[in-house]
Amino acid sequence: MTTVRLPRLFLLPSQWLLGATVLAPLLVIAIYSLLTRGAYGGVTGPTTLGSYGRVFQPIYLYILWRSIWVAALSTVLCLILAFPLAFYIARAARNRTLLLNLVMLPFWTSFLVRTYAWMFLLRDTGLLNTTLQRLGLIHVPIPLLFNVGAVVLGLVYGYLPFMILPLYATLEKLDPSLLEAALDLGATPASAIWRVAVPLSRPGILAGCALVFIPCLGAYLTPDLMGGGKTVMIGNLVQNQFTNARDWPFGAALSLVFLGLSGLVAVGLQRRGDQLL
Amino acid sequence: MNVYNWDNYVAHETVADFEKLHQCQVRYGIYASAEEMLAKVISGNSGWDVVFPSNSFIGPMRELGLLLQLQKDRLPNLSNLETRFQAPEWDRTLDWCVPYMHSATGILYSRTAPIAPRAWADLWSDAYRRRVTMLDDPAEVFGACLKRLGRSVNAVDENTLQAARDLAIQQKPFLRAYLSEQVRDQIAAGDVLAAQMWAQVAQVVIDAAPQLAFSFPAEGFALYADNICILQESRHQELAYEWVNYLLEPKVAATIAEEISGATANAQARALLPERLRHNPVLYPSDEVLARGEWFRPLPAKAQQLRDRYWTEIKSA
Repeated sequence: MTTVRLPRLFLLPSQWLLGATVLAPLLVIAIYSLLTRGAYGGVTGPTTLGSYGRVFQPIYLYILWRSIWVAALSTVLCLILAFPLAFYIARAARNRTLLLNLVMLPFWTSFLVRTYAWMFLLRDTGLLNTTLQRLGLIHVPIPLLFNVGAVVLGLVYGYLPFMILPLYATLEKLDPSLLEAALDLGATPASAIWRVAVPLSRPGILAGCALVFIPCLGAYLTPDLMGGGKTVMIGNLVQNQFTNARDWPFGAALSLVFLGLSGLVAVGLQRRGDQLL
Repeated sequence: MNVYNWDNYVAHETVADFEKLHQCQVRYGIYASAEEMLAKVISGNSGWDVVFPSNSFIGPMRELGLLLQLQKDRLPNLSNLETRFQAPEWDRTLDWCVPYMHSATGILYSRTAPIAPRAWADLWSDAYRRRVTMLDDPAEVFGACLKRLGRSVNAVDENTLQAARDLAIQQKPFLRAYLSEQVRDQIAAGDVLAAQMWAQVAQVVIDAAPQLAFSFPAEGFALYADNICILQESRHQELAYEWVNYLLEPKVAATIAEEISGATANAQARALLPERLRHNPVLYPSDEVLARGEWFRPLPAKAQQLRDRYWTEIKSA
């Protein structure tokens, strides 16, 4: 009996912590989503499913769809950039710890500050545009900031480490002799990577994709700052309901639908990952 | 005593001097939006004594029973207020609030721009294509569009709001971004040539970048004022009254107005300001200009919901 109970006891603190900090607020949000908007913020009775009805109006579905699209594009770009880098670090003969620390270095400063740094680089009078103008390559500044491209750039930059680290973890365990065998059997280096390394690192790819896609889907700081408030993503929509619009029930309903969606993505990727393992 | 205020809305020494004067301790907190303040105090036991709501929040907060009805004999300094703030439209008899600072929404622009914007309509022109920003605030964007249509900034009917939404969507190809205070360094650096901006913030930017100027649009514009209110829940009413009276003192109010480059509602304080501020046309526009201004008013829930819906449509167009 004690052998079963002891591990359970060890779980208790974290279970309570999760219950108090995740499930309880979630329950509050669920209750709010069923109530009616108070005239000046807050919620009042009666209970209604009206907020959920509104979530599925075309305009909000369109915003949801565009958020998915932006998040998916950012995830794919992260993957394309991260795979060669993770492969290189995993195969590096020396300095692996140093390289990994470099990947994590940006976390030492706040994301907000780093986003502002990008804005200084990209704006009309920013480093990039002024340099190009001085070199005579362009005559008028190119609009680099305040568009969807800038939002994707900001997201890729922000979440790249979350793709690199799980990829590194799987690639590092990959037996190098498998690649050697592929080469010995006549595979070109490219096809050895494509047909051996990539399939074997699927779990890392899926974990990385989930870690990048889900936060990108909920991002609101980057679309606000890098997109100049001209493109709304679901995160901005939810935030606006709790501030300017003072429509808490609708904001709660939006965030629950969005949470369910992210949950489905996470579970889907996890399932595929388990099957492949 | 607990004071909850906007950021950068008193002078450095204001709170410390009051503490010394009254041998008390003041807990001073700041908020970034009126909604944030309202969300905190709406419970009725937030622990704050004095807050600084904008004029359109006075009516709703009074109806919610959040504000203390002021005993005016305890505020002798009330007479220092400018005449037009002795009976403002949001509280004709000053029973619930004391006007503090006021401002308006207009256009901050660079003198190097091809044309000087005289009207909101100019912000839809090729002269500023992609070099113009609007405030990231639905009330302000609707306000400008409604004024262009010759309507009230407080319009509530669906057809008018739809027309305003369509105007805002038409403007999007000309817009660089929806930016609030972040536009300050971009307009100073020359990225942006014209920006919808609050007069008070504009004056601060102009002080640092003299190539900029401010205009009050021809079609009309929104006015707003922040007010000092004592909360109904206040457990330190004695000190709270002292604090309100203290902020109304000409010297105290003048020091604040000078330090934050704000427009004080206090006539005696304004008289003490240096010339540069006292007759500053951005902070204190002439009566002729003010005649085009219109105060923001609280909106009924239905109109608020409609506006939010249209705002989402504008933003995702």
